[in-house]
Amino acid sequence: MRLSWNKTVLRGAGIGVFATALTACGGQAALDEAQTGDGTETIELAEFPDRPYWGDTHLHTDNSVDAFGFGVRLGPEAALRFASGEEVTATTGAQAKLSRPLDFLVIADHSDALGATRRLYDAPRWYVNWVIGDETVLRWYDMMHESPEQSQRAIGELITAAANGTVPESLSDPETAAENTKDIWNTHLGLLDRYNQPGTFTALAGYEWTRMPDGNNLHRVVMFRDGSDRTSQTVPFPGLSTSAEQLWDYMAAYEEQTGGQVLAIPHNGNLSNGLMFETTMPDGSPMTAEYAAKRAAAEPVVEVTQIKGDSETHPFLSPNDEMAGFGVSGWELGNLPLTQESTPDMYAGSYARSALLRGLSLEQQLGVNPYSFGMIGSTDSHTSLATGDEDNFWGKHTGNEPANEERALLGQNLGTRVGRFGWHYLAGGYAAAWARGNTRAEIFDAFARREVYATTGPRMSVRIFGGFDFTGQDWDGDWVRAGYTRGVPMGGELTDQGSAPTFLISALKDPDGANLDRVQVVKGWITASGETQERVYDVVWSDMDIRVRSGGRIPAVGDTVNREDATYTNDIGAAELRTTWADPDYRAGQNAFYYVRVLEIPTPRWPLYDAARFGIELSEDAMAEAVAQERAYTSPIWLKSPVTAQ
Amino acid sequence: MTRPAWTQASWLREPLVHFITLGAVVYLALTWGGEPVDPASRVIEVGAEEQAQLALSFENVMGRAPTDAELDARIEQFVRDEVLYREAIRLGLDQGDAVVRQRMVAKMDMSASAAAEAAQPDETVLRAFYDANPDRYSGEVLVTFDQAYFTEEAAAAQALGRGAVEGEPISLPSSVEAANLRDVQSRFGEVFARGIAELQPSDEWQGPIQSGFGWHLVKLSERRADVLEFEALRDRVENDWRSEEIAARKLRAFDLLRSAYRVEIDR
Repeated sequence: MRLSWNKTVLRGAGIGVFATALTACGGQAALDEAQTGDGTETIELAEFPDRPYWGDTHLHTDNSVDAFGFGVRLGPEAALRFASGEEVTATTGAQAKLSRPLDFLVIADHSDALGATRRLYDAPRWYVNWVIGDETVLRWYDMMHESPEQSQRAIGELITAAANGTVPESLSDPETAAENTKDIWNTHLGLLDRYNQPGTFTALAGYEWTRMPDGNNLHRVVMFRDGSDRTSQTVPFPGLSTSAEQLWDYMAAYEEQTGGQVLAIPHNGNLSNGLMFETTMPDGSPMTAEYAAKRAAAEPVVEVTQIKGDSETHPFLSPNDEMAGFGVSGWELGNLPLTQESTPDMYAGSYARSALLRGLSLEQQLGVNPYSFGMIGSTDSHTSLATGDEDNFWGKHTGNEPANEERALLGQNLGTRVGRFGWHYLAGGYAAAWARGNTRAEIFDAFARREVYATTGPRMSVRIFGGFDFTGQDWDGDWVRAGYTRGVPMGGELTDQGSAPTFLISALKDPDGANLDRVQVVKGWITASGETQERVYDVVWSDMDIRVRSGGRIPAVGDTVNREDATYTNDIGAAELRTTWADPDYRAGQNAFYYVRVLEIPTPRWPLYDAARFGIELSEDAMAEAVAQERAYTSPIWLKSPVTAQ
Repeated sequence: MTRPAWTQASWLREPLVHFITLGAVVYLALTWGGEPVDPASRVIEVGAEEQAQLALSFENVMGRAPTDAELDARIEQFVRDEVLYREAIRLGLDQGDAVVRQRMVAKMDMSASAAAEAAQPDETVLRAFYDANPDRYSGEVLVTFDQAYFTEEAAAAQALGRGAVEGEPISLPSSVEAANLRDVQSRFGEVFARGIAELQPSDEWQGPIQSGFGWHLVKLSERRADVLEFEALRDRVENDWRSEEIAARKLRAFDLLRSAYRVEIDR
């Protein structure tokens, strides 16, 4: 009598032979240099950046430990196909397609245990039981196989363990992890090269560095300029056990060894409990100029808006900013897994605007500004689907894809489940890059020179040029050329010339989206005595002849949202808002930054679309935030006194 | 890379052939392997061959041969699993368990598509795929046009009537050269891209057509189909081929199995 397992083994062997035979036939296609490299000289470039390219620099696929555990079964290839406009079948079965493709994508799977949950899941149980031999891991393994719900619970525990530094050693064994990481990374790089099409779609290499001491989120997305000819010479740097300074050293070493370029993008300062933008070294000692310079060089851009909330500013920090607080509720309660509550004294180290102010202050003390960063949005989606639109929200992770009709009402899976609900998730943002063409080099360089901006999803085109001699007449001619030749674009620096800087500012609505309410300039500055200040100026808005400013405020734009069926009209607002603006509060010698915030008219947020589609009833709290003014934040332009600028 | 001529034969690359061959291999292996296993049997033999398999599977995971103690442990584990597995079958626990059912379904699907994921299709296969999908690869329309923007439809119509087409200021290009409709959509919006697709090229101003911003008069000087040569598209074709091949193999494998079933649905 033969054993039944014999059948299994033979069948398995048969498939192996079958696959090998097929792999052996057919020639290996050589990728041309246009795809394995950075795309330099592959396409014709515009003279000046002539349009924003849209992308997501923060997408997770089934190679991310948590994303896989949450249930996603789509990998990087599906992610690339989806972002470039193809239809894919989402994990939960529905067909998904972007109505407008993205221009670039960074798949940013967690470097720690890259691909590990997927491998754990695929491993035979005896291996987990006998070789790994860890009760916790075995329990997670069984939960992952039991059901999607249990799998999500297991990953919730895993993230909490990672946050608390209690991940079983067997899962974080450095040697095995390094070997697996290298395999997965190299396969991944080949795939990126195949999908990278200069001029049409840019696939940038990257990963997420996931440091989170005590659950305080210090995560960065690491993004490379290069193709596999260089990126295959490195491997993703682990986050759980290393410091940010070590990451920057790793990045510098990569650049030196390969001649390539790499940058890091911090995100979710809002969940860092004040640790993302400290005024000191991580150990509490005074910040050194060397440390500040390292940070500034490695991290030119911060991701300020994404599914897990918005980090522009908090109403506590900006009490005079009536539009502050977008995407703050729920997230402001504590750190990432909610193992530690947030208190207002932490906020200044958590949000971008206060960080930019801290940067001015540190620059005055050290001569170097560690926080002179530009701003972008992205998704942080864990579904392999890079969706940022409110009416097309595919969920933070597979557990809250639209197949889960109650997703807006449920408690979140992270941490204690206290106070954070599905509706607190934002639909996610996008990154816009002003570039001369769509290649790896052009997109990356736009990030490096901070000529990028954030939106909470809509694709409005926003320009700001800073200079000293712009006038209203510039709009009559080629004002973009004027902007580039007589001034600097967003991300640039102006040297104080003793007169107020002037700005050309233009915001064009999303061609398929909502009209614009207003354009604001957010100014931050530092006085000679070291005091930092901020002020928000309304510089141009729709129907200015009717909406007359009174008491320093302009009347609200109105609200056309129908709460019953989640619709709005463009009967209010404007298609484009543009103006020439001079700083009325300029004082010679004060270092300052200026960035633009653009607000759309009120539109439904995704929970309201869900409510209308699925016929669910939102809670009172959720309903209060079911309509919002989506927005864009540009990178700042800095004004520096000649002394600092040297 | 040079390959023996027989590997070039197209039928050898036919997935259906692979599938049938695989089926034959499995069938023969089972036949030669002895009688079909009866899960109800209470005899578990762990002969030399079985032990070798256990050692091999250990080696595949660990990268080294097991020690005697490790092999004993594996045998013990195997016997335990086998006992429980057979008892579970006896109790019918495999029936009506959604997880077991789903996992087995997924395994069948995977075995049909695994080969396609690793396959390196050659030039002929890809060219054939390219030729078979003309809409996908030669359908790209390029338009060259001038546009003038108006907030109100009436103002646009009036300007057209006067023949003096001067639009209102807006940060959109007044001339667009050889842009594909995807680019046009991304800058002017979906409605405009649809509108311009319906115009005929002419030296005259036409419209007004609507956009996400307002209304436009358009002078469409050229519309032509972009010729996308295979060489320029090779990777895209391969990506598309692979993705369709995976889906097709799953479907063909399923159809093959499905054809052996008669399904009765009460209506």
